[in-house]
Amino acid sequence: MIRNITIGQYYAADSVVHRLDPRVKVIGTLVYIVSLFLFNNFWGYAVAAGCFCAVTVVSKVPFSYIVRGLKPVFFMLVFTALLNLFWTPGTVFFQLGPVELTWEGLRKAFFLSVRLIFLILGSSLMTLTTTPNQLTNALEKLLAPLCHLHVPVHEIAMMMSIALRFIPILVEETDRIMKAQMARGADFESGNVIQRLRNMLPILVPLFVSAVRRANDLALAMDARCYHGGSGRTKMHPLRYQGRDFAAYLLCIAYCVLLYASVTYLPVL
Amino acid sequence: MGIKNKIIKSENLAHEYARRDESGDVTGIVRALDGIDVQIEAGSFVAVLGANGSGKSTFAKHLNGLLFPTEGTLYIDGMDTADSENTLAVRQTAGMVFQNPDNQIIANIVEEDVGFGPENMGVPTDKILKRVEECLKETGMYSYRRHSPNHLSGGQKQRVAVAGVLAMRPKCIILDEATAMLDPAGRKNVLDTIVRLNKKEHITVILITHYMEEVTLADYVYVMKQGKVAYSGTPGEVFQNVGMLRECRLEAPQITQIAQGLQKAGIPLTQGVFTIEGLAKELLELAKKR
Repeated sequence: MIRNITIGQYYAADSVVHRLDPRVKVIGTLVYIVSLFLFNNFWGYAVAAGCFCAVTVVSKVPFSYIVRGLKPVFFMLVFTALLNLFWTPGTVFFQLGPVELTWEGLRKAFFLSVRLIFLILGSSLMTLTTTPNQLTNALEKLLAPLCHLHVPVHEIAMMMSIALRFIPILVEETDRIMKAQMARGADFESGNVIQRLRNMLPILVPLFVSAVRRANDLALAMDARCYHGGSGRTKMHPLRYQGRDFAAYLLCIAYCVLLYASVTYLPVL
Repeated sequence: MGIKNKIIKSENLAHEYARRDESGDVTGIVRALDGIDVQIEAGSFVAVLGANGSGKSTFAKHLNGLLFPTEGTLYIDGMDTADSENTLAVRQTAGMVFQNPDNQIIANIVEEDVGFGPENMGVPTDKILKRVEECLKETGMYSYRRHSPNHLSGGQKQRVAVAGVLAMRPKCIILDEATAMLDPAGRKNVLDTIVRLNKKEHITVILITHYMEEVTLADYVYVMKQGKVAYSGTPGEVFQNVGMLRECRLEAPQITQIAQGLQKAGIPLTQGVFTIEGLAKELLELAKKR
């Protein structure tokens, strides 16, 4: 199951979206996510969905790749939707014993799921078109003013990018250890929650040991390649805004305006 | 001969570390290196051979300024490694490729990883891009430049690591058992790359290994045993010395063992055959003479 997380998995392709400055993508995604929570209107979601689809098509990332990011949160989605569906008071349109379904509940459940879905799809699209290194570069640059408050921005960015690099490796390792323990008769499926958690111990201990060993190796390798902190360091791909980045910012503003107009002037559905 | 032609020069180099028990008390001193006197010429291809625990990895870490001598001195390209002012320059002069391909790739994209070294050295952006392109082409990994390292094979990852070291423009590359975790095809690719760099770019190569077959590539071999250089010579000389190898818990390559067996059986082979092609050629010539 953990293999399915697409966050932090870059999809290599040559598109305008991939070439955009990561700062634009970070800010754009933030704007998009915030915008999803500012209205309660079908037209607004139509605009949000339309824009998302347009960006996806331009980015050349296969749709199935982005949707894969939804799988791990699928149950949470269904759960919150059901909760809203059954526990929202209002006009009842269906009744079975104590269970009541209301129009308001249906509407709320629908809006909430759509919001969550687009929140995840939007951020997945960003991480699929932005290498984690670009992403941390962007954060390093965007958070640079915090340096004056003695926040170690470079170190944090470095740690994030290394963590992202090792997630797939450790996931693979977990898989390998699990299989090795299963081959020795370990049982991860039966028993109650506490028993299951206890059965996870033989996975966690070797995983932890290996992670520490890897960290040690990596620190040596970084030392060997002259790493000595953020001072005096240059960048292979320094972030410089290009024409297309300003165009993208304009598109962001256009999206907000369009969203506002659609929510305000179109008949409420 | 001046110190300048010797890229690596060690004088009575020794390294000790304390062995501790679980509560952190010192239970003993381990002398991992014990009086190493080595001189390696620039542009040569040197193998350091030794069984596990012979001190060869500790030696490698000294060459890169990751460990400092407890006794004696070590000069890399005329710089004393013990002087902390030299550390960065030493690491740039003598680049290191480690054993585990996964644990030495820092970035999530091949080309960004190759650029990591030059970034740390403060090389200007346009020069980094040029170097990365050159080094990836040199190691035959250019077509993978935008790939994630996780999707590469072990041999490909090690070639990326070699490119990452090359991008720092070193005079010397140290491979610390860099092929130990690779399959035969990957191992061959990495070694071919290294041999080409040595011949074409005249980069000094220090190959640390316990694979006999790899040693045949070297001009000169140091055999290590318990922190000391037990023997040194050309690969041919080393392989002839079966008794010494056995004492160091090593074995001559299979092909040399066959050649020695044939010699014992009375077939007049020349000394120091250690490639399949070489043996085949000699046997063919002998057959023709008959």
